[in-house]
Amino acid sequence: MRADVVVVGAGPAGLAAATRLAEAGRQVLVLARGNGFTHWGPGAVDVLGRVGGEPVDRPLAAIDRLPEGHPYHLVGQDSVRDGLDWFSRFTAGAGLLHVGDPERNRAQVTAFGTLRPTCLLPEPAAGVLQGRVAVVNFAGFRDFSPALCAARLRETGIDATAASAPLPAWDHDRYFTAVELARAIDDPGFRRRLAPGLARAAAGAGTVVVPAVLGLNRGHEPWADLQAQIGTPLVEAATAPPSIPGLRLFAAYRSRLETLGVRWQFGFPAVGVEQAGDRVTAVRSEGASRLLSTRCQELVLATGGVAGNGIEANRDGTLTEKVAGLPVQGFDGRLAYLGPRFLGEHPLAAAGVRVDADLRPVGPDGEPLLVNVRCAGGLLAAHDPTTEGSREGVALATAARVAAQLAATAPALRGADHEPPGPPAR
Amino acid sequence: MNRSLLETDVVVVGGGVTGVAVLRDLALRGVHAVLVERFDLGTGTSGRWHGLLHSGARYAVRDQESARECIEENTTLRRIAPHTIEDVGGLFVLLPGDDEAYAGKFVEGCRASGIPTEELSSAAAHRREPLLAPDLKLAFAVPDGGIDSWSLLRSMAADAEARGCRVLVRHPLVGMERDGDRITAVRVHDAVAGEDRTIGCQWVVNAAGAWAGGVGRMAGVPITMIAGKGVMVVMASRYVRGVVNACRKPADGDIIVPQHEVAILGTTSEQVDSADDISVAPADVDRMIDMCAQMVPAIASGRVLRAFAGSRPLYKAEAPAGGGDAEGDTREVSRTFTVLDHASRDGLDNMFSIVGGKLTTCRQMAEAVVDRLAERMGVTTPCTTATEPLPGADHGNHQVAAPLARLERDQAYGELLCECELVTRGQVRDAVAGGLTELEDLRRQLRVGYGPCQAAFCAWRAAGMLAEAKGNGAAGDGSGPEGSGAPAGTAAGDEHPLAGLERFLEERWRGQLATIWGDQARQALLNHSIYRGIFDLQGLDLPDEAAAALDGDTEGRTSSRAGEG
Repeated sequence: MRADVVVVGAGPAGLAAATRLAEAGRQVLVLARGNGFTHWGPGAVDVLGRVGGEPVDRPLAAIDRLPEGHPYHLVGQDSVRDGLDWFSRFTAGAGLLHVGDPERNRAQVTAFGTLRPTCLLPEPAAGVLQGRVAVVNFAGFRDFSPALCAARLRETGIDATAASAPLPAWDHDRYFTAVELARAIDDPGFRRRLAPGLARAAAGAGTVVVPAVLGLNRGHEPWADLQAQIGTPLVEAATAPPSIPGLRLFAAYRSRLETLGVRWQFGFPAVGVEQAGDRVTAVRSEGASRLLSTRCQELVLATGGVAGNGIEANRDGTLTEKVAGLPVQGFDGRLAYLGPRFLGEHPLAAAGVRVDADLRPVGPDGEPLLVNVRCAGGLLAAHDPTTEGSREGVALATAARVAAQLAATAPALRGADHEPPGPPAR
Repeated sequence: MNRSLLETDVVVVGGGVTGVAVLRDLALRGVHAVLVERFDLGTGTSGRWHGLLHSGARYAVRDQESARECIEENTTLRRIAPHTIEDVGGLFVLLPGDDEAYAGKFVEGCRASGIPTEELSSAAAHRREPLLAPDLKLAFAVPDGGIDSWSLLRSMAADAEARGCRVLVRHPLVGMERDGDRITAVRVHDAVAGEDRTIGCQWVVNAAGAWAGGVGRMAGVPITMIAGKGVMVVMASRYVRGVVNACRKPADGDIIVPQHEVAILGTTSEQVDSADDISVAPADVDRMIDMCAQMVPAIASGRVLRAFAGSRPLYKAEAPAGGGDAEGDTREVSRTFTVLDHASRDGLDNMFSIVGGKLTTCRQMAEAVVDRLAERMGVTTPCTTATEPLPGADHGNHQVAAPLARLERDQAYGELLCECELVTRGQVRDAVAGGLTELEDLRRQLRVGYGPCQAAFCAWRAAGMLAEAKGNGAAGDGSGPEGSGAPAGTAAGDEHPLAGLERFLEERWRGQLATIWGDQARQALLNHSIYRGIFDLQGLDLPDEAAAALDGDTEGRTSSRAGEG
């Protein structure tokens, strides 16, 4: 097979990069092992939530306080703005309007009743908590405890109470997940039967906080409809995985990519590259029964860090980049990966590939190792997406930079779509 | 402050299997007794071991007295406590490079100790255990098994309590009142109420295991215990159908015990300064894996869940028995047990200590010490613990698939709180209704948080249920099925519900630190991104002293206080 640009990875960085490159007229193939962080995240766009553990109020201004080598320093504030602007336009066009201001963080209420600092929020999560807050679960949904959420909100000085709303009779009364509940809520009839119980649980409240399950495939319409029916502002809390807001976003990307004619290979992990000098000529991936080789002009690696499976942490304390074998900053033994407290910071989360300002991987001398490879998102060294609260911001900013780099030169590639693979890599 | 004065005939110190077996033995003889334990039942050595029901074969060459005790008690426990036992059998495998002469001594030792063995060819051994090393030479089948010490503890304690004895957990011993040659009372600290209590008593049995020396000091009698640390590694799946041992002189990493959904690799044996030293170094973990992978190669690339260490309760007699020098490898110390009558030994009239031994022989240890005590007390009722079945014994042997069968029977998938260990909300609700308030105790009781996801989902679900039970946020919660039936006045009544969750997560973390690479590294970072990323827990809900204890952990080593399994 061949493609003009191969994007490896379908998380926040890979999806944005593939979409933007296709929009710029490049012929793109997406190779992905599986779903990425869209499915695991809080359903928000974090740009910079904390520096040194302290909440950040102005994310763009706080970039200056980040350590040297941070991806934001490499790509610059303009790329961050570009990434966020593009994302806002893209999601608004897809029926997933996001609100927020890159200049100022806002609070996202979580299932634990904490208020996490973030930048952009999808509309259903963006409401401000006002008046008495009713925290409401849908009866039988396992992954949300209104008691836990309300208790913490009260500590913050918010007048919050816990309640439960009954679900209408449906097929899943014995066992259901967030996905099944969200899919049911897509149905207007189900919502009509759901609304009265939700309104009763919310009686007298100024705001209603619910788990993020208000619809799966209908954008934000189910949320808006339910909110209108109960007549009270309705806020989706950041809820445990799988992230329904993340699934909505993923579906929007997928639909857009299909419209743009981008090919997908899902469940096909990239496991190696073929090289000619300092250029990658093809990517090898694992098919159902054999290794596939896909020739390409440009390669974008958006495979994630250790959490995203782009980097393997080995028992001997070394780290391996899994597609091109790029050097990864090392640690002195396994224990140096990790902090003594689980809820503290872990250096392993910031492990990654060092790149130049064009996002090309570099060696110890700072010179690019492979000139037609760009790295984006969690794979990049020197940032800790979870502790900083920077995952989506870095993904979008580096995708913007990749798009700007590769949009300029777009050779139209012709010829046979299928080629025999090169010699086996193993 | 002395809140209350209890009176009893016998105070038993130590809530491990030995102490609880002593309590049950006393109860069956009609003696009133109170057991005091500093943490929860089974948080010392009884909760920090590999779960092997010994056939005795591991001792057959070097320590035949221990071997005979083991096979006898193996048979007895199968009779009185089958529900705590998984009847999986065991193999001793001879690998290339192992000494065939040792195999001869092994078979002879087993014969002399009364342990049945059956020689299996390599092919027969592979039929039984397909993942064994392909080049193994031969194997011997022995009646090893798996035993769940927490299940055994709960059954024995319930039986003793049903017969009028009492169990006081979270009551560390703080002192003894002595009048001349007698102890008249023990003082304990009620850690839940934050008050001291005095328990007046006629007799004291020191069953504190590896910590028996400290109890002796409080009573003014010298007892020298050797702290023999053993490190164990928990694999994410079972690998073996039954127990697999190396047929060689006992050494590091020579045993694999399947237990519930995991396999436990054991062990190291290292003399340390304190029984509280349960740290694990990455090198210990690597050695366990590399050695056990000689027997079952797939372990080398398997997923490791965590590692933990326990302290063997080794007793150093005044005149060293058998000439064994205990420096370094503590496996040289005999694993049999000793009853110390402090009247004849130290001139303290009314205290006994029971030291040494191992879990498999806990009932026999209790019988031996209570026989001596009963004689002095003038109690003539004979011991019946070997014949009287424990509550739950009518369920037959534990089957690994039993939780799944129960779930299927009840069609309770929607009730699942922990998918890895198949724990339902109903089970948690029952435990909470029974007064349980601490997530760590929930783990020991129900195995919540034990599985491969390492508490990514179950811990906060359980914390939510605890919050609901405590009535936090219950105001206005009229319509839901949850949020009522709160047990009042619980241990951590005024503590934030997230504090217990953070404590649980940090305890789990300490067991994982030395074992994080590969899939576990990914899992750890994903869990971090859930708790810190999505839920924005910053680790600030712990009380200061607990946080300081976590931060003060010795560099490069990890440890955890609570029991493992």
